[in-house]
Order: sequence, then C-alpha cells, then structure tokens
Amino acid sequence: MARANAEQQQPTTGMTLIVMVGLAIAFLLFMAFLNVVKSGNLLNETNLLFAALIFYSGAGALYLGFGVTGTESYLKFASFATWLGLIANTAAIAHRWYESGHPPFASVYEMLLSFVWTLAVLTLVAEKKYGVKVIGTVTMPVAIVGVVLMQLLRTEVHPLVPALQSTWLHVHVTLAMLAYAACALSFALAAMFLIQDNMKTETFLAVTSASTLAIYASVVLTRFEKWGGLSLVAWNPEQKSEVFLSRGVRLFVTVPDLGWLMTLTLLVVAAPLVCYGLARWKKNESFLTFANRAVFLSILLQVMTLVMFLVRARDGRYPSLDADGLFPTSLAASPFILSGLVGGVFISLLYLLLLWRRQDLGRLLPSADNLDRITYKTICLAFPLLTLMIASGAYWANQTWGSYWSWDPKETWAAITWLVYALYLHMRITRGWRGRRAAYFAIAGFAVVMFTFFGVTYLLPGLHAYA
Amino acid sequence: MALDFHAVGHKTWRTIASIQTGVVLLILVVILAAVGTIVLQRPVTEPDEMQTAYSPQALRILDTLGLTDVFHSWWFLGLMLLVSLCIVAASVDRFPNSWRYFSRPYKYPDESFRRALHPQKSLAIADEESGLVAAERALHSLGFKPERVVREDHFGIFAERHRISELAVYIVHASLLLIFFGTIVDGLWGWSGYLSLNDGQTSNIVELHNGSKRTLPFAIRCDAAGQENYKDGTPKKWWSKLAVVEDGRDVQKKEIVVNDPLLYNGVRFYQASYGPNGKVDKFSLLATPSTGSGAQQEIGLAVNDTVSLDADTTVRFAEFFPDFAVRDGQVYKKSNYLENPAAHMVVTSKKAGKNFDVWLPQIDEVADNSKAPYQFQAADLQMGHYTGLQVSHEPGQWGVWSGVVLMGVGLAFVFYVVHMRFWVAPVRDPKTGKYSLWIGGSANRNRDAFEQRFNDLVAFVEEDLKGIPSTSPGKQLATVVSISH
Repeated sequence: MARANAEQQQPTTGMTLIVMVGLAIAFLLFMAFLNVVKSGNLLNETNLLFAALIFYSGAGALYLGFGVTGTESYLKFASFATWLGLIANTAAIAHRWYESGHPPFASVYEMLLSFVWTLAVLTLVAEKKYGVKVIGTVTMPVAIVGVVLMQLLRTEVHPLVPALQSTWLHVHVTLAMLAYAACALSFALAAMFLIQDNMKTETFLAVTSASTLAIYASVVLTRFEKWGGLSLVAWNPEQKSEVFLSRGVRLFVTVPDLGWLMTLTLLVVAAPLVCYGLARWKKNESFLTFANRAVFLSILLQVMTLVMFLVRARDGRYPSLDADGLFPTSLAASPFILSGLVGGVFISLLYLLLLWRRQDLGRLLPSADNLDRITYKTICLAFPLLTLMIASGAYWANQTWGSYWSWDPKETWAAITWLVYALYLHMRITRGWRGRRAAYFAIAGFAVVMFTFFGVTYLLPGLHAYA
Repeated sequence: MALDFHAVGHKTWRTIASIQTGVVLLILVVILAAVGTIVLQRPVTEPDEMQTAYSPQALRILDTLGLTDVFHSWWFLGLMLLVSLCIVAASVDRFPNSWRYFSRPYKYPDESFRRALHPQKSLAIADEESGLVAAERALHSLGFKPERVVREDHFGIFAERHRISELAVYIVHASLLLIFFGTIVDGLWGWSGYLSLNDGQTSNIVELHNGSKRTLPFAIRCDAAGQENYKDGTPKKWWSKLAVVEDGRDVQKKEIVVNDPLLYNGVRFYQASYGPNGKVDKFSLLATPSTGSGAQQEIGLAVNDTVSLDADTTVRFAEFFPDFAVRDGQVYKKSNYLENPAAHMVVTSKKAGKNFDVWLPQIDEVADNSKAPYQFQAADLQMGHYTGLQVSHEPGQWGVWSGVVLMGVGLAFVFYVVHMRFWVAPVRDPKTGKYSLWIGGSANRNRDAFEQRFNDLVAFVEEDLKGIPSTSPGKQLATVVSISH
C-alpha cells in the first residue's frame, strides 16, 4: 500500500513523498483504530503487529525514496517510522512473552518476531553509528516480509515440550539470533562494498537473475504437477495446521494452471542471465541492454505470478492426487514459496535501484575501505557469538540428550558455518585477504547461515524439530 | 642416490604446517560433513527406511564408501586427526617466532625500523628531559607504564600493553586440540545406551547403541515415574524417582526430569521417554456367580495371580492384550498402547475338574463366557508404565568443556585485546643542533582505532610541552582501550 505509493511517486521531490506516506500511515492507523474500537481490545498482539507492519512499511517506502532520490529529509522520517515500528514490535514481543510465560524463541513464528526486532535494531545502529544510511532500503522490506509471514504463521501460544524447558534454551537461541543477525549485517556490508568497489553493474545483474532463477527453479522442480498444476500443502483451517496423511507425510493439493505460470516466469527470469552469458561470450555490449529490459519484464511477470499465487492459494478447495475429494489450502501452508516469490521481486527491484541510481548510491555509502573494515569487524563479532552459540547448544544437549554432539544436521551445519567463518578469518589474517575476495567470502558465509537457519529445518530431518 | 631423510622430513613438515594444507583440509571437512547431513545416516535411520530411500545397488555403494555413517567412518576420523596434526604443526612452526616477540620485547628501535614505522610523529622540544617527561606524563595518563630505556646507542621511553595478545591465537588452537582430545577420549572409553525400567524394577544392564550389552557395577531402581500434561494434553513433564543400589544398599536417590540427570560414578542417567509398557499393574473385577445366588464380590488381580472365588472355584489372570486383534481364532497383540484391551481369565472348578476360558470383552471366536461358573465385569484397570533412561559415560567431556571455556577466552583475546607499543626518543638535528621528540607506535590489530589513540597521545604531549595544563585525555582514551567496534 504505502510502498506502492513510493514507487509511483519516484521522481517527486521534497515533501510529496513524506506527505503521501504520512497520509497512508494515518489512514491505515485510523482504519485499524475503527476495528479496535469495534472489538474493544486495544493492546493485543494482532493489533501491535499490524501497527508494526504499518510503520515498517512507511519506513521502507521512505528509505526507498531516500535511496532513489537521495533527499536527506526522507531519512529523518524513515528513522522515526522505524522507531515507532520497533516500539510496536517490542510491545508485541512483551505481550507474547507475558502470555506464554517464556521468551519468544520456541516456534518459527516466535523466532521471526525476535528476528524482525533484531533487524530493526541493527538498522538503526548501522544508520546512526556507522552512517550506513541506505541500509534501511534493504532491511525494511525484509522486516515487512517477516511481519507478513508472521501474520500467516500465527500460532496459538504452545506450552514448551519437556526438552525445551531449560535456561539454556534462552541462552542458546539468543546467541543464535545475535550471531545470525551479525552475519546478515556482514552480508549487507559486503554487498555494499562490492558496489563501492566499482564491481560491474552487469555482474549484479547476473547474480540477481541467478538468485531469482534459483527461487523459481526450486519451486517448479519440486512442485510442478501434471497438466500445469502446482502442488501445495493442504491446510486444515479448523486446526490451523497442515494436513497429514500419516506421520511426517503431508497431503498435497494441485492448484491448476499455476504451474505453467511459474514455468513461464522461470523462463523470463532466466532471460537476463542468458543475455549476460551471450554478452560475455560474443563480447557484445548490446545484449546487456536486452538483459536490463528482460529484468523489467521479469519484474512484471513476477508480480503477476505473486498476485495469482496470492489469489489462488489464499483459499479455495482443490483436488489432490493422493486422496479423493477437494481439500482447502492456505497461504500459511506455503510460507516458503510465498517468501521466495516476494524475495524474488525484492531482489529484482534492488537491482533496478542499483541500475538507475548507482552514482547516488556511491555518494550515500561509506568508502570502500571503511565498508571492508566494518565487514571484518562485524565478522569478528559474529564468530565468537557463533562459537558461544554452538558451545551453549552442546552443553544443553548434554543435559537433555546425554550427548554433547550427535552429528544431527543442524549441529553439523552450525559447525560448517563456524568453519567457513574460521576460514575467512584465517585467510584475512594470515594471507592478507582484503576487498573483493573477503567480500565474496562474507557473502558465501551468509548463504551457509541461511541454509543452516531455514534449509536444515525444512529439508533435512533431525533432532532440532522444534523450529 | 641415498634418500635424504632429513630433507624429506623437512619438506613434509613444511607441507603439513602450511596454511594451504589447513585450508584444503577444512574445505574437505566441510564437504564431507555436508554429505553426512544429506545422505541418510545409520544407525539413526532404521534399516527399512534406508531400503525404501535408496536402491539396493546405491545402498551397497554408499555403505562401502562409509557414506551412510560418515561421522563414525575411519576416513572421517582420519581427516579429523590430520586436521589436528595440521593445527599442531602450524602452531609449532610459528610459535618460536611469536614467543621471541613475547619474551623479548623490542625496546630499542633501530634506524630502519623507526623510518618505516607508522604512525609516527616528531615534535619540537627545548631539551631532552622536558620532552621525555611530557611523554611519560602522557603515557601515564593513558594507563601505560612507561619505562626509560638506556643503551650506549639509544635512550628513550618504551611502553606497551597486552603483550599476551601475541600468543592469543595459540590459546585458541590449544583449546581446539583440547576439545578434540576430549571427544577422542569419549570415542575410545565412553559409551552410551538405553535402560528401560518398569515401576519398581531394578536393573544394571544397559543396552548400548551398538547393540551390545553392558553390565554396570551398580544397579538402578525406579521407584516411581510419571507424566504431567498441560491442559491441552501435550506433555509438560516426565519424571522418574531413581535409586542407585550398590552392594544391596541404596547409595543415592534422585528424582530426575528432562534436562536434569542423575550422576553416579561418572555415569549419567537422563530421562528420555515415558510410556505404557503394555502390562497390567492391577485389574479390578466384579465377579457374580452364574447361578445368580451368592453375592457379587470385587477382586483385584495382576497377571498370573490366582484368587479363590469360593471353596471350589479359583480364577487366574492368564493374559492381557493392551491392543488386540483376532485372526483364525487366535488373539494377537497389535501394540503396547491401551487402545483396545482384552483380558484372558481362566476359571477353574476343582469339583468339576474343568477349566473355563473367560475373555473380557467377550470374543465369540475364542470362548463363550456364559459357560463359566462366574460372570465377570471389569471395574478398573491400572496399567504399568516404563521409564526410558538414556545412559552415558563420557570421561572426555571435561576436556571438551575446558576447551570451550579456553576457546572463549582465546577468542576474546584474539579479537578484542590489542598489543600496543609506543617508543619515544629525543633526536638532535646535527645541522641546527635543535632537539625534537620522536614518537612512534604500533598495534598488532585494529590499526585505525590505534591511530586515533596515537594522535590523541601526540596532542596531549604537544599541549604539555606548550605548558598549558591540558584536560586529561585519559578518560576519553580509556574507551578506546576496549577497542571500539
């Protein structure tokens, strides 16, 4: 809503954007207020989260406006909106904590709640302390996606199963959140370093195209069904849970035609990468113009796919290959496809920002040397946190399962993350790796962190089945 | 030509100690560990699950390569040993140099060192002594302990702090080796297994995870065990009251819960599971004579108990099925869960010399209850429970924990403690005869923050030399000591 405003108003100057965003926020708050008055319950978690969503959206729009136009006054209001969002977010966490009686670390929903909070705090820290002003352009949309996902994954307060009733849960998860947030920050800083280091725009093009391609390829490869359908997990609206055929086997429904649309988008998303390949191979720069046009086209198609996905997968009943009858599905049943699609649009938009406003960005970011150094310092912070996170996890496991190390996939991947950052530090300290190579390493490290955080939970089975 | 063993040995040593070898080994560990999380692993995965997941040929190849149990295979162990060897070699190779640096601080900077040093600064001074005193005062205010150094060719001031930082990386490497050592000790002498006890049962035999059995020198008795639920029915707490029995005496008692084990003689007992064992604790029945004359009586039975109903008739509780199924006139047990229970009683009449089978509930294919001299009605059924204990003996874990603590300390030193050195010397210009004060500094990491601090020091000395009582920069600088991030 508010973000859409920002994009339409792109070239405007001065106060227009601020007024637009302010009005949008006021309007939404007013609507929310009417709702609240009707229900008579002001401070519940849903309202607080909704308020956080509104403020973060406003902040995102203003940061984006700042990134595009470089108008300093946007920044002030963006920070202010972020502060308000953070307050609402903190209140939501407090409410959740009070209601459940334990810190919010026990489920994916609660982890997201804490993650978004950490992200907002880090955004303000990076902006105020290190002067990395445009960072909100990247972090706020991520926070918005996080809050939207939370609305979908909303769970009732679940009591803690016996294995999680330990002080070490809080120590372990707090350390994990801090470490992962520091890794995320080092990733963002490394990416900015590459911009400041005059890395070619077309390289970013290739990376953007490759990442969106990976998103669509993984969806199409795993979920494409016969006759162009798309498999989605069936959802039981009464129990608010996925439908299981037997233990661990979920029931899939087939949404017709979405598969074709996904495949089409896959092809268009791949086009910039192909053009880039041709430009490199034929040494012909004109292919790059095609590539940039293809990015534009791909954004349109991605938005269309997203809208279609939202419309078809939000509700409705669809047939299944494994059982007779029609079964409902819901967006909550496919949070990762949804975040993948939103993420794809977001990455492509970031590329457009880079393509159009590279000069301005260069002016707004700290110097390459500084970014390189801050990246290193962030990793110097992340590495001890990772170490402590693994150690506290091992100690807790020893208390609960009788073994401090079981080579469970999550443990193993945490160790792999640790090793990757250990390699980074060794290369940097003993081999003097600086600049590009160090930045690539920081980016690869964060990719491993993401896999440890999300990939292991959803792809590899193991003891860490709670979240 | 005879082989030059010394040269070969030296070359091997250099290879092992090199950072390239270390990096290659670490990358190998990363790849193999990743493979170990993607390929299903024994014994965590059940054999039949393995067979459904992989074709027989693929499974044979995976098994031969050890990829179905990566983390216990000889080559993974070998790789970890190589990594340890590499860490030792690299540390031993580099240590003497660092030790020289540490044990013999460089107090007398020579000409070429001074020329190359960054940062450095020269200030004009009136005479040697006033310059040195000003520098000393500045260093004191920064929390350093300046030391006058005098030699034939050089006199001046040397001050340093956190020299230990030069050795921090060895602390981290040593801690890693300590952790490896602990895990190896556990791998060789440690064991872990499972012990399942019914209420009141005593046992000293642990079923190890590798399938063998281990007899403990003491026994464990479970006095009681139970489960508490939340309102929504999910389990909240499992508990077991355990007693350690040695030489017939109770030597230790503890109620364990998940996250709080019992420790005795280095062996830990963890609450792992709790559930019905499918056995009946007590079965209460109402018995009524079939003739209709005679009072109804309530009897309580455990399996295999026999109770007299009257002078002539006895009843024996023969069998119990928590979850039964009938096929071809036979009753089978489907599971241990109390889903669909059946009890089998045998009523014996001495006079008639006859046994009557009674089933509750009545199972037509098996027996006809109405023939028996008594009719039974189930009143209450108390099921027995087992408590599952994870048992482990990890003699090396103290190595692991001390290694972890040491690593925390080491990393704190590596990242946040900086070895800083300052040199000050008065210099006389041979042409003009005027004196200047040369100040130089060096830090082993975080140089930009150090440079800021160096500039502050110089500013302080300058102020002091001008004779203006300066506001102490000590406070402001002290914050830099903890190295800003």
